[in-house]
Amino acid sequence: MIPLAPSDYDAIRLSLQVALAATLLSIPFGFGVAYLITFVKFRGKMLLEVFVNLPLTLPPVVVGYFLLLLLGKHGWLGSLLNNAGIRLIFTLKAAVIASAVVGFPLLVRSLRVCMEGIDRQLINASRTLGAPWYDTLLTVILPLSLPGLIAGSSLMFARSLGEFGATIIVAGNIPGVTQTIPLAIYEYASSPTSETMALALCLVSVVISMAVLFMHELMARKMSRRD
Amino acid sequence: MKNVIKLLATLFCLFLLVAQAVAGEINLAVAASLKEVTNELSDSFAKTHPGVKFLKNYGASGALAKQIVSGAPSDIFIAANPEWMEYAKNKNLIDSATIGTFTYNTLIFAGAPGKASSMRDLIKLDRIAIGSPRSVPAGEYATEAIKKAGLDKHLEKKLVMAKDVRECLMYAERGEVDGAFVYKTDALLAKQAMILFTVPPDLYPQVTYPMALTVAGAKNKDAAAFFTYLHSGEAKTVLVKYGFAPH
Repeated sequence: MIPLAPSDYDAIRLSLQVALAATLLSIPFGFGVAYLITFVKFRGKMLLEVFVNLPLTLPPVVVGYFLLLLLGKHGWLGSLLNNAGIRLIFTLKAAVIASAVVGFPLLVRSLRVCMEGIDRQLINASRTLGAPWYDTLLTVILPLSLPGLIAGSSLMFARSLGEFGATIIVAGNIPGVTQTIPLAIYEYASSPTSETMALALCLVSVVISMAVLFMHELMARKMSRRD
Repeated sequence: MKNVIKLLATLFCLFLLVAQAVAGEINLAVAASLKEVTNELSDSFAKTHPGVKFLKNYGASGALAKQIVSGAPSDIFIAANPEWMEYAKNKNLIDSATIGTFTYNTLIFAGAPGKASSMRDLIKLDRIAIGSPRSVPAGEYATEAIKKAGLDKHLEKKLVMAKDVRECLMYAERGEVDGAFVYKTDALLAKQAMILFTVPPDLYPQVTYPMALTVAGAKNKDAAAFFTYLHSGEAKTVLVKYGFAPH
């Protein structure tokens, strides 16, 4: 059978925890940003779009390093948090933040595609019927963006499961606390005597990713079948 | 036809040139803690041996052993733990006749002043950096010391794994961990972190650095010459300069 050590089960549990937390945390912000980009006209919109997409093109290690500069003990935001007694670096919270930042562009992207496909007539109709913008947002746009939200969330979830570069920099490799599946595999892969352990965990990682991606494909199909 | 022959002749000449470039190369696989020592020794060797080019690979000895076994070109291997030299030797990649000891070292705990003064104090700390015991000798020695001191259960969720002893030191320098298990020689290079205490030597085996020529290295004249240089009095002076014990 597949040899999995107790630390491997920890890694799997932590990976799922981080991915879930990062995705749930990002949904409200992702929805807000996607709505802004799709429906609101304002100066500097392109800058926002580029900024949101940046974590997608930057090497994850760079994202991690910037987060470290921001949230570290001597960092711009981190020093304030430190005074309040909040420590983020080398905790699971940092892993969640890293995954959230790296996966955010994927969520926004999916939501945008879906929102852009909403029939403007429906929005205009609700406006002419006297609905304020927040009413339209909640009762028209939100329900119609649901497929995009689910597709984007599952993509972001899958990405968070595989997040390594930023995570190892801000959360560190702490078995049982922040060692997610990619970090555990990395540790196994550096050692000449852990070949089978590395392979076992790789297999688990593949199975989980495939399950999530299948769900994403199903959702994507539902979205395209809508029209 | 004449053009084809010309092209082939040019390619052949280029190939010869490339082959020559490879001849003067020495591939080093050296434990991360010996980085400065090896840089200085290779620089002074290169001054007296022009045409020699060093390709240095510094890292955790376990990771280096794995790379050598996987086919990474290496002429000289210096590990921080005899275990990894044995491992490479058992895979028939080392010229066993050349195995010797380069130097020794001591394990210490480094961090910001006042954090800890003995092994027992470690329980009070939040985060401790340690090399991954699967591949980093400093981590292996530290893990053994922790176990022998009976603290392994208490420190279970506090250990931040580093990929080599220098990353450990970097964590301590940055201040995001309370302290790190590094070698005395690494701590001497630190700017922010200080030596807080020396790990009692009865808790771990002596830190020994075995050195050897690989099977490929034994055939490389330049590598063999550098290997001899590593045994010289000049090398010992450099070792002492960086805080290592002369063998």
